[in-house]
Amino acid sequence: MKAMPRLLVLYSAAMSVFLLAPVLVVVVAAFTAGDFIMFPPGGFSLRWFDHVLRDSEFIRPLWNSVRLGVMATVASGLLAIPAALALVRGAIPGRRWIETFLLAPLSLPTIILAVGLLFFTARVGLSSSFTSLLAGHVIITVPYMLRTVLGVYAGMNREIEDAARVLGADGWRTAWYVTLPMIRPGIVAGAIFAFLMSFDEVAVALLLTNADTTTLPVSILSYLVYNYDPAVAAISTIQIAIVVAALLILERFFGIRNVMFASR
Amino acid sequence: MADAARAQGTGENGRANFSALLGLAPILLFLVVFLVGPIWVNLLESLKEPGGAQGLAQYGRIFFDSYYLTVIAQTLIFGFVVTALCILLGYPLGFAVARAQGTAKALLMLVVVTPLMVNVVVRSFGWMVILGGSGALNAGLTALGLPKLELMYNWTGVTIAMVHVLLPFMVLSVASTLEMLDRRIEEAAAVLGAPPARIFWHVTLPLSIEGIVTGGILVFTLAIGSFVTVLLLGKTSTMVLPLLIYQQLTTSSDWPFAAAMGITLLVIVSLTLWAQSWLHPRAMRARR
Repeated sequence: MKAMPRLLVLYSAAMSVFLLAPVLVVVVAAFTAGDFIMFPPGGFSLRWFDHVLRDSEFIRPLWNSVRLGVMATVASGLLAIPAALALVRGAIPGRRWIETFLLAPLSLPTIILAVGLLFFTARVGLSSSFTSLLAGHVIITVPYMLRTVLGVYAGMNREIEDAARVLGADGWRTAWYVTLPMIRPGIVAGAIFAFLMSFDEVAVALLLTNADTTTLPVSILSYLVYNYDPAVAAISTIQIAIVVAALLILERFFGIRNVMFASR
Repeated sequence: MADAARAQGTGENGRANFSALLGLAPILLFLVVFLVGPIWVNLLESLKEPGGAQGLAQYGRIFFDSYYLTVIAQTLIFGFVVTALCILLGYPLGFAVARAQGTAKALLMLVVVTPLMVNVVVRSFGWMVILGGSGALNAGLTALGLPKLELMYNWTGVTIAMVHVLLPFMVLSVASTLEMLDRRIEEAAAVLGAPPARIFWHVTLPLSIEGIVTGGILVFTLAIGSFVTVLLLGKTSTMVLPLLIYQQLTTSSDWPFAAAMGITLLVIVSLTLWAQSWLHPRAMRARR
């Protein structure tokens, strides 16, 4: 095994700086003691975190985002897991086409989905746009769940299921006691992934939320259009912290590498 | 052998098909209602004409107006530039991710994935902090006695931020293709006396074309479909199609026109994906 060329190591270091810079400046700007975002920052203080955590303008959207993310994750699990099991096990005609259709939302620009859902809500006469908002998020998250579960299930030793069947377990018992425990890593990884995708989603939320249901990215965005102060850096830092925590959990249980590559 | 066991008895097979259908029905129903439904409604909306009639008037407004044609052209050029930059910058990094070992690999992976997961609004805000008139970069330049750079509210800033947003997709695509590559082919070339540069150019690169194509198409469709970065870092002259759709909906409330632009964007994305399925077999053939 040869060592990597020095040039490639240098290049990777430079690109790492490029990739991390915008995230790091936000975190640095959040800890300023001054009234403005400036470089170098004017002293160290937690006052902007204090400000943000007392401000319902940010706390309610944060709570909304977490709730919406959890609901979208649970719903996409309920839809994707049975579908993944069916796709791998059943001899379904046109399996390729079904799979392509199920993963189609991945390549659909979210603005198109958002616009369509907005019209749909108006035309069908849904009383609250929250149904459409949740549906839009599930459409975005469900392919991630499906891909990770499909990836894990397809690579699993299926003869264990056959053994359970031979020993007399029916289809449901086999699925519950044998298959589900075996694909659990895929479900956990898919769920974290799905939550992050919902937690980060802007386009659908921008068009379908109101003052009561607004999500964190939307409130940061609308705040940024009119203001530019360390408060937005502080709330962004809280958002980054939640994401990094989720990623570390993912790394610990599953390995980020496996998720990213299995879920291609 | 497992398949043979599963195929035993047609009754068993019929039951398996029934439960497979049961597993697939909810998700299919959900996508038909909430994905196909909205796109269908969008299409109907785009066919509305001012007088209450149905027709292609909204599309006429787009395709016979030099402003909207310019925006479409700008969107496509922006998509191509971002894609090209992501390929150039992302390939070596994807190569490094694929070839790194142990801790270095885990760290690189974390560095690539973390920005991907941080909200696009927050990342664009980060670039505002760096590129702005009194931002971090200009503060550094001033401290060094250098002139300030105009990097925000123009295409330069929007492109830098968008490349940053989409680069991880390219890196991951290239890295996963290179990881599946059989290293013995490279070793064979080395044994036969090829210098490293030649091995890379004639063996490694052609074998990883598929990752570049997959990543490139993904980056392109995402670049022409996102508007948050352009909204925050651009100005009126850096208009792209998705941002125009958003503005038509929120400021001018011209729904049928916004719908027609949405369908136009959808057609462009579909054509791109169709091009991928057309390029894919060619890429596969090139591997052989």
